[in-house]
Amino acid sequence: MNASIESPELMIYAMAAEIENHNTVLHGVSSPLPVLAMSVARQTHAPDMAYISGAEGVDPEIDRIYPSSFDPRLNRNAVAYFGLHEAFDLAQRGELNVMFLGAAQVDRRGNTNLSVIGDVERPKVQLPGGAASAFLMPITPKVVIWVTRQSSRVFVKEVDFVTGQGYDHRSEEHKKNEIVVISNLGVMNFKNPDRVMQIQSYHPGHSVEEIRENTGFDIQAAPDVKETPAPGRQVVDLIHRLDPDGVRRSEFR
Amino acid sequence: MKRVLTSLEEAAAFVSDGDLITFGGATFSRAPMAFVRELARQKKKDLNLIDREPAMDFDLLIGAGCVAKVRSGMLAFEVFGMAPNFRKKSESGEIITKEGACQPIIAGFRAAAMGLPSIPVKGMLGSDLLTISEVVGSQKQIEDPFTGETMIAVRAIEPDVAIIYAQKADEFGNVRIEGPFYEDVIKAKAARKVVVTVEELIPNSEIRKMPEATTLPHFIVDAVVEAPRGAYPCSCFNYYEPDYDHIKEYLKAAAADRFDQYLDEYVYRRESA
Repeated sequence: MNASIESPELMIYAMAAEIENHNTVLHGVSSPLPVLAMSVARQTHAPDMAYISGAEGVDPEIDRIYPSSFDPRLNRNAVAYFGLHEAFDLAQRGELNVMFLGAAQVDRRGNTNLSVIGDVERPKVQLPGGAASAFLMPITPKVVIWVTRQSSRVFVKEVDFVTGQGYDHRSEEHKKNEIVVISNLGVMNFKNPDRVMQIQSYHPGHSVEEIRENTGFDIQAAPDVKETPAPGRQVVDLIHRLDPDGVRRSEFR
Repeated sequence: MKRVLTSLEEAAAFVSDGDLITFGGATFSRAPMAFVRELARQKKKDLNLIDREPAMDFDLLIGAGCVAKVRSGMLAFEVFGMAPNFRKKSESGEIITKEGACQPIIAGFRAAAMGLPSIPVKGMLGSDLLTISEVVGSQKQIEDPFTGETMIAVRAIEPDVAIIYAQKADEFGNVRIEGPFYEDVIKAKAARKVVVTVEELIPNSEIRKMPEATTLPHFIVDAVVEAPRGAYPCSCFNYYEPDYDHIKEYLKAAAADRFDQYLDEYVYRRESA
């Protein structure tokens, strides 16, 4: 029934839902989906969030997005500048609540790889690098990993290289921090005693079966698995207004 | 105060073959592209590049054959995808890539800026990047002497030269950066030599009217170069936006094995004012 809503919009809405009102949230580089999710959250259920842009503006009034997530126009009417090193200070103090990170591979324990496929000394595929992943993954209360093309090549049993730390690469203290994985097919969490990836919800137009078929390990549905809430017309319109050029689709090609 | 105004050609002489260098800005914002092109024209060799999130600045120098080693948190072209020369030469072994993470790189600059041999950071534990860094000798697990908490000591990063692109400066090297700073101030304080290329020269009397707007005072800066539109095709806040079409043209040239042509047309040809 909601099959007319496209994957980017479904993902953006699901990503926005991970932000709570009063959260302090940061986005990084190459992040059109996080920028849109933060904008949607702020204009819907989280009006009091602190929005720290990777472009360094605080609470900017974003009128549209651009191919670069550091485009200075993303700081429009900001209340302040807050440098990345200051945002990292905040993270070390435990005061950065939510961060969005990408992944070329993600595994059943939540490890991410953005570094290399194959040997690190002589990579078969040189990936762009994890940016802040290795620093922020373990210490941030909630990290949302977004993956635009779920397949068994991306959702692997074990990553080739641990860039960002999953539950089997964390101290006991850091195991308290949450990882959520949001793909074009559904939302995955690790809320079970073994801390292994499970299906929290499937997006409208998709199913548990489709997610299982596109995962490179045996993934179970959570006991309370359900359909991901779809964005309403107003949210979809907002996304389209903020992204008239369709930058959000670039990662889906 | 000493007059430090010079030309792009002479400023590039601050960079020697094999130097560790870093650039101001982040991805397509305020990267010192005119200076980068001058380094390529002067055929610098074996440069060792470091920054948290570079893009075209690093990739162009890699493509021009000026680079031996790269250390960055992420090197890509934002939504346009991979940095083509970086990927190609890293996979072929022509350059050595030692991936860092943003925080240890920034913290390394901060340590150098503070005159410290190292600085502790959180995170990193459990990542294979920490393992690699421990082998290279840029990071090490330590125990905090007061709390016993496991921390990561990051070795100071002191670039031979930091090159910053700023909006304004006077001829003595008093510099104004407008808009976001990124780590430019930290990098300038961390580096042995600092070259600042600027959109516009302003008189010292203007600087003195508003000292709070001065981002870098003259004693930190070794050379100032007037280079209008010198961040192009990257953006310079308050002056111009990034030229995404040009960036796409660069990527197209690299993808079609026409990168040499790109260099001929946009780099080796002299910079037109």
